[in-house]
Amino acid sequence: MITLPEELKNILEKKETVKILGTSDKNGVPHVVLKDSMKLLDDGTLAYAEEFDSSKTSSNMVRSIWFDKLISVNIANGDTSYQITGKPLRCLITGKIFQQFLMSERKRDGGGPDIQAVWIIEPLEIKNQSRKARRDEETKKYPLYNTHLDMLKK
Amino acid sequence: MNNELTYQEAVQKYLHFPRFIILKLDLYRRGTIYSDAVEKEYGEFPGPMILRDGTSVVTAPAKKTNKKDPYTVDFHNGSLGIFYHGEYIEEIAFSPKPAFYGKKTSLGTPMEKIGMFRPQRLDIWPYRFCHYWKGGYQCKFCSINVIAKNRLKMEQGMELDPKDISETVAEALKEPGRFSIITLTGGADYEGAEPFDSELNRYIKVLQAIGENFSSKRFPSQLVCCAMSKKQLKRLYNETGILSYCPDIEVWDREKFSWICPGKDKYVGWDNWVKSMIDAVELFGPGNVCTNIVAGCEMAEPHGFRTEDEALNSTLEGAEFLAKNGVAMLALVWSPSRGSAFYGQKQPSLGYYLRLAQGLHDIRASYGVRVNTDDYKHCGNHGDSDLARLD
Repeated sequence: MITLPEELKNILEKKETVKILGTSDKNGVPHVVLKDSMKLLDDGTLAYAEEFDSSKTSSNMVRSIWFDKLISVNIANGDTSYQITGKPLRCLITGKIFQQFLMSERKRDGGGPDIQAVWIIEPLEIKNQSRKARRDEETKKYPLYNTHLDMLKK
Repeated sequence: MNNELTYQEAVQKYLHFPRFIILKLDLYRRGTIYSDAVEKEYGEFPGPMILRDGTSVVTAPAKKTNKKDPYTVDFHNGSLGIFYHGEYIEEIAFSPKPAFYGKKTSLGTPMEKIGMFRPQRLDIWPYRFCHYWKGGYQCKFCSINVIAKNRLKMEQGMELDPKDISETVAEALKEPGRFSIITLTGGADYEGAEPFDSELNRYIKVLQAIGENFSSKRFPSQLVCCAMSKKQLKRLYNETGILSYCPDIEVWDREKFSWICPGKDKYVGWDNWVKSMIDAVELFGPGNVCTNIVAGCEMAEPHGFRTEDEALNSTLEGAEFLAKNGVAMLALVWSPSRGSAFYGQKQPSLGYYLRLAQGLHDIRASYGVRVNTDDYKHCGNHGDSDLARLD
């Protein structure tokens, strides 16, 4: 399993960080949703709470774990942004980790949702999508490509 | 089980069928035994298992059912794994025991004698004797009274006290998120002014006792029982908070029903059984009336279907008829268990069960019949309803 960079681990812990999960259905149609319960577990996997067994995300995640399809996560805080490509590893409907997420979610905003599952995701590839990091990367790869002439004017 | 597809071969052949469900169905067919190390750690009856995708596997240990070619559950890199002929197949875990285990009711009854568990389902068997066995009318695949004899030996009694049940449910509800449904079932009891009034009255008492624990009138629950008359169904629906009614027809073909389930045929009859299910939809709503078949016993010898295609066509024809009327047919994998009349008989192939599961799911989906009370979580016994997770 790959290790998340420290910067990513740090923003994952922050309440205001935006966490987005992207999945796709049997026709390849993407489905992108906020999953603010997402966190990093001690074993280096990501976990989030699924509120509905009947949701599109839920059926897409089942399809992914059943047929080895990949999913995508974006974690963003201000100018810092990371994309994680991963695969669903487990769907927990009971047990310690499920209970922890359940209790945490139920406490939110004085009476939060009743979650149905906790999905565990194994990160396979991490890409820094921060604007500066991306600009530096593309410029290094293709020095005079993504630019207009007037930007090079004396 | 020679000359049949193994799990790996089935995964290669049925590429569009999820391999976790192929594994589940084959675990049911072949059975599982536990290694000595696992038995030492978890005991002889560690309970239901869960695959890592959330699929339940509810089987008895194979050494109790004398399966010839079982899978083995053993330790693997610090976790549990399923092995077949020494080859590691997949990760598995035992469902955690609920917190009420080890506690007693105010009558001194251990609560684990009252409530049995699955990953998200609480099972209660209020009555553990089947009257069909009197005079030899028991279903030919069933061994409930053999189990009952053992229960009597261990002084566990045949009938549960509603007070014990209510207190056990109250204790179970103290554990947040542990259960999503309560399922009741037991032996058939045709006694009463109208046949099965005795069974109905017992369940009404029990359901009212359970209902005391809930703030809503109706609560996620299923009753697996005999086929009731319309009058009895109205009493069941109006006097309790039950959500789903499930009279198991066991086998769809009329003649085979008569042969395999002589008690159900004698005391109810096939036509009345089907009528009961359709009548119940008016009260419980589409998808809240279910029926299970013991898939595969329709091929038992000497009077069963000769080919898998014939058997499949018959069952799916029945499933479609029922789905048109808002009733869901679901399948259990027949296990020719010790103590049953069919002990020692051969099960159909793994391919049969995959085709059946896909067929049942597709029929329900085409008629818009969702089975929320019998899905992967609220039951966990049916490969066909597991497939609905993709819907």
